[in-house]
Amino acid sequence: MKDDVKASLRELVGDANYTDQLIDLIAYSKDGSEHRHRPDAAVWVEDSGQVSEILKLANREKFPVIPRGAGTGLAGLAVAQSGGLIMDMSRMNAIREINIEDRVAVVEPGVVYADLERALEPHGFFFPPDPASGKVCTLGGNVATNAGGIKGAKYGTTKDYVMALEVVLPEGRVIRTGSRCMKTSSGYDLTRLFVGSEGTLGVVTEITLKINPRPPLSATAMATFDDVEAAGRAVSEIMHSGILPSVLELMDREGLRAVNTVTGADFPEVEAILVAETDGYTEEETVYQMKRVVDIFKKNGARSVKRAKSREEAEALWAARKAAGGAFTRINNNLFVEDLSVPMSRVPEALKVISEISGKYDLRIPTVGHAGDGNLHPCISIDARDPDQVRRMHEASAELYEKIVAMGGTLTGEHGIGLAKAPFMSMEHEEGTLALMRSLKRVMDPNNILNPGKMALDG
Amino acid sequence: MRQPYEFEKKFGDQIYRCSSCGFCRAVCPVFGLTSRPALNARGKMLILQEVLEGRAELSEELVDTLFQCTTCANCSVHCPSGVEVPEIIKAVRKDMVGSGTCHPAFAGMKEILDRHTNIYGEDEPEDFGRERNRRAEYVYFIGCVGQYREDEATEETLRLLDRLEVDYTLIDEVCCSGVLEDVGFQMNQDLVDRNVRAILATGAKTVITGCPYCYRTFNNKPRYAALKEAGVRVIHISQFLKDFDWDVRTDKVVTYHDPCDLGRHTGIYEEPRETIRKIAPNFVELPNARAEAVCCGAGGGVRAAFAANSIAMARKRLEEVESVGADVLLTDCNSCLHNLANAKLRRQKFKVFTIAQFLNRLLDEARVRPGAKEVA
Repeated sequence: MKDDVKASLRELVGDANYTDQLIDLIAYSKDGSEHRHRPDAAVWVEDSGQVSEILKLANREKFPVIPRGAGTGLAGLAVAQSGGLIMDMSRMNAIREINIEDRVAVVEPGVVYADLERALEPHGFFFPPDPASGKVCTLGGNVATNAGGIKGAKYGTTKDYVMALEVVLPEGRVIRTGSRCMKTSSGYDLTRLFVGSEGTLGVVTEITLKINPRPPLSATAMATFDDVEAAGRAVSEIMHSGILPSVLELMDREGLRAVNTVTGADFPEVEAILVAETDGYTEEETVYQMKRVVDIFKKNGARSVKRAKSREEAEALWAARKAAGGAFTRINNNLFVEDLSVPMSRVPEALKVISEISGKYDLRIPTVGHAGDGNLHPCISIDARDPDQVRRMHEASAELYEKIVAMGGTLTGEHGIGLAKAPFMSMEHEEGTLALMRSLKRVMDPNNILNPGKMALDG
Repeated sequence: MRQPYEFEKKFGDQIYRCSSCGFCRAVCPVFGLTSRPALNARGKMLILQEVLEGRAELSEELVDTLFQCTTCANCSVHCPSGVEVPEIIKAVRKDMVGSGTCHPAFAGMKEILDRHTNIYGEDEPEDFGRERNRRAEYVYFIGCVGQYREDEATEETLRLLDRLEVDYTLIDEVCCSGVLEDVGFQMNQDLVDRNVRAILATGAKTVITGCPYCYRTFNNKPRYAALKEAGVRVIHISQFLKDFDWDVRTDKVVTYHDPCDLGRHTGIYEEPRETIRKIAPNFVELPNARAEAVCCGAGGGVRAAFAANSIAMARKRLEEVESVGADVLLTDCNSCLHNLANAKLRRQKFKVFTIAQFLNRLLDEARVRPGAKEVA
């Protein structure tokens, strides 16, 4: 990036909001994935006007712009693959409106998920996706990745809640999409186009979210299984039983072993555990749902089923699953969190594939999953300083993607494609589909300014 | 091949175990203030990874981040990967100082402690009108901030000990010098020896420290092992006071700021609260309390080196005090007291005290005899 361009950027945002210091460039070089590349400069933007001016400058001077929220993504979406400018959105963090009558919240992209949670709580409302990084991730990042979480089976993911957006297009024009009406059939659904577009089509500067009343009651149960396929059958049966658990999480034997090894806990190292939560407005409703879930656990050969009778007991049932994230990162120096999704009926088969690949490549792959929506996170644990382990990890991932796609699955349930899965886009999407995606990108961003290199759109 | 850094030998693996999840953004006080990823734990670990890979040097360019950490440990307590960031930062600072890179404020602190007995370079210690170095059951060890900056709080603490008829003595204390290890230097053996000699000379079996940091230094640093070997127990004032009953109460809304050195670093959360609950029925917790407590911004040398940010961090903490509608903010560290009181805005009407100071004031107001009795 030329010095005069840097000077222009500095002038646009002010000294306090511009940096090209080494420490910032390194800190912005990475997100939660293994991808790493230093940008040339970074800015903290304050409003859509600044975003627009910067994008116009970028088009004139032909430098890449990479919008970034908290940088917690796991697929390299926020990494400046070919240098350029990191546009940090985190200081645009105002909650502009909470309107309970309309059931909407209007927020800037830098609002942290947990801060919106806190603001909605007194109203008895929530924004359900509940990503694991909720304490730090930004809503702009949620929109860019179409983030999900543990409540997907009942409540869906980010896309189900974004009603309208203000977006700065790559050439600097500011537009609005969607409507704050609960229903609209008006025109192309541009809102959905931008959700999950990974910052490649525009910079989101305002988000109108549908918010849900939060059911006040919940019930929790945990079941252990000696057979992964039986656990999978239980999941499948629950999900077509008419009951929609608010959470239905799975962890495999390797995961339980990792938690026990790392935390010193003593969870039974069975083939799989399932943790279910049902929610509702009355105890009768909540307990009825849970009773059905428990019956299905038993019918499908659960070795043991525990129902929580108190909040403390519920926490105890959650303990293994909640410890997973921390425990998995401590097995070895590096953890690569995969994010596959399969049709509900294929969950057992997918688990079997993961186990086979783990053996074939001699890798530890503990797995957790949002079983209720078919989204599995096999976590490959290696020491990335050993080239042989890195090679085996990459080969294992590629084979995993191939097999998952072959059974009708998808490369990513909630993390996005980014850099991590860009090379595999053609595995899942046919040529015509990819061509349309690339055409859209060219029409909207002719100079390929915004987040280049992601989602295989350059190819 | 370059020579391995000292920090690398002990922490190389940990620095790579940082998975860049970014969860430290939620808790780092420096990041909370600046929204600058280079200043939070993840940024620091990424920078150190590049240093280890030879892609960056331990140079002046890194001072702004590696010397700007309050070592409050909020990141490490919440780190899913168990990265001990404050320990890493302290180790890195030693390598930096060793190769001639240091923040001028830290270099100044070292020079001052080479020539003087305390971090403020003041040669006239307040004697608080009390006899020093006499034989007694307890030594009360004040600490630099309590001695030279928050002497009012110290005076009131001593008056409280007098009221309780505690057989204590002050000593010719000097800086515990623990802070030098935090900012890249070795502890000062001369200062250590002077403290150990003065404590042992009193025959006291217990040292009560007013400063949680001195408490940590005496208990954890091998250079002070002579105390333990002589059977001397070191406790913090909050541990001493918890066993008393008080016949004073306040109707005021009281809240409490957990000092990092007392809470996250030492696990002393309950003792201060035990005392507060006895005297303040209207006690409310801050939104971020105990292990979640947000640092006041004074630690790790940040107050000396990055004063504006240090005060701004304290202001953020004080916003929490306002949010709970407290009349009184208590803490149990003179350094926190100092930074929080300095940062307080005129419109913020609540008062800031240490617990001992507040207790003494309540007793003054009640004009009662001590009335307190030891129950333990």
